[in-house]
Amino acid sequence: MLKSLDPRVTRLPVVEIAKPKAQLDQFGTYEVFVEPKSGKPFQHEGSVHAPNLEMAYILAKETFTRRFTCSSLYVVDTRDVYVSSMTEGEQNVFDLIEQSESTNGTSDFEIYQLIKRGKQHVFLGSVKAGTPQEAMATAKTKLNTGKIVYNIWAIEANKIRFTTEEEKEYWITLPEKKFRDASNYKGGDKLKRFLEKVNS
Amino acid sequence: MYGGGNTFEGIKTDSIANEDPILLAAFEARIERGEKIEPTDWMPQLYRKQLIRMIEQHAHSEIIGALPEGTWITRAPGFKRKMSLMAKVQDEVGHAQLLYSAAETLGKPREQMIEDLINGKSKYSNIFNYPTFTWADCCFISWLVDAGAIVNQLANAKGSYGPYCRALDRICAEESFHLKYGHHCVIYLASGTDKQRQMFQEALNRWWPPMMHFFGPADKISAHTEVLMRWKVKMGTNDEMRNQFLDMYVPKIWELGFTIPDEKLKKNESGKWDYTEPDWEEFKRVINGDGPCNKERLEVRRIAEERGKWVRDALKSPKAKYIMPLA
Repeated sequence: MLKSLDPRVTRLPVVEIAKPKAQLDQFGTYEVFVEPKSGKPFQHEGSVHAPNLEMAYILAKETFTRRFTCSSLYVVDTRDVYVSSMTEGEQNVFDLIEQSESTNGTSDFEIYQLIKRGKQHVFLGSVKAGTPQEAMATAKTKLNTGKIVYNIWAIEANKIRFTTEEEKEYWITLPEKKFRDASNYKGGDKLKRFLEKVNS
Repeated sequence: MYGGGNTFEGIKTDSIANEDPILLAAFEARIERGEKIEPTDWMPQLYRKQLIRMIEQHAHSEIIGALPEGTWITRAPGFKRKMSLMAKVQDEVGHAQLLYSAAETLGKPREQMIEDLINGKSKYSNIFNYPTFTWADCCFISWLVDAGAIVNQLANAKGSYGPYCRALDRICAEESFHLKYGHHCVIYLASGTDKQRQMFQEALNRWWPPMMHFFGPADKISAHTEVLMRWKVKMGTNDEMRNQFLDMYVPKIWELGFTIPDEKLKKNESGKWDYTEPDWEEFKRVINGDGPCNKERLEVRRIAEERGKWVRDALKSPKAKYIMPLA
């Protein structure tokens, strides 16, 4: 029995000593992409652990969009992100992508690019293709501006859990939650009055 | 919130002798140029190991740090304070998730880290092994422990590991309200009744020694970390961080008319702060498990883990597969 200053802790039940976790007692990993403002490109924000795509969406919303403006969010299984090699210096990664056999596929792929090391991957554009390899090759011809890009991701759109129109309401009230905003804690006046009283 | 970077192991001089000298030189040149290291880049084993250790400790500190403040949510004075404190505590737990993900890109799975926390193998910030007796203790944490954490975090955000820096940028941005909220709470106590003032003075007396411990052992007795400084894993010595904190916050505490329980505390001619050497034996004793709340903190985590197990089991899907996050 725990004795604590916190009455809730004192009321906690005794639990058997945890057994070591079985190997791979773990959720999957999912990558999270956020559109910070309507019209701004989506960018990669990080990852969450979840048992499935739907839970990943919910956890991503809690983890990454509690505080700053967000107009849309999507998640995808990490395994469904096709990743190019990473280049550096003056090497444009598009120059390393080989032409791929055309499959006449018509799936949509979202292409992300990394233009500065240390920053996040940002949405570049969408292409139609049959395979992720083909999507990268298509991106090379259609989206490559010659500007140096260090890394490319291709994600098949039908693997993504997008935000629906109705769900966009989730973030409407964010600006109203002033208690999470530093500017809501103005102690200056009170401090000034206090100091005047003390010094008089 | 964070109190990390203070329990690095001593580094043996031969621990980088086995690394490929050409790769090592390229790695160091990249850091020298101010570029970030990304998960797919080559890195020395020692860099990987120490970063995992540091980011993991940071993540655990967020989780455990939520407990001493979380305990005051139900007793926060007024609805506004309750809303703020809830949002703050939720932030801390969210920050742990960001940090676990950053550490994972180095190869240690989150579940392994959580397990190492519960079984006592991993450390977290020592300061959370002390109890919050009153609301004023909670205010001390919100203002000054967070202030110390921000000193550390702003420095570390300029470090060399990309995913950690990105997580810290987000964390620092979100924490800007914590500090203001904490200061706001203390101003209210300071300008309140004699009893309120006394309450905060007592909290300050209790928390000052752990706050001085917060930045880790004095440079003259701590493990040598030159190589970690060169690799921008550690961004300042413990004493430098401590001095920066004192410089920024001692005047603000004095301004409110409180007494810091250290007669030797003053700024010397060289612009550095003099203070009574903190009791490093006490620090070691507490960090090794013999503090007032070590047992309770881990037990609460362990019970939460055990009681939440059925939910995780129910959700588990054979289709979801753990792999390392991308960046």
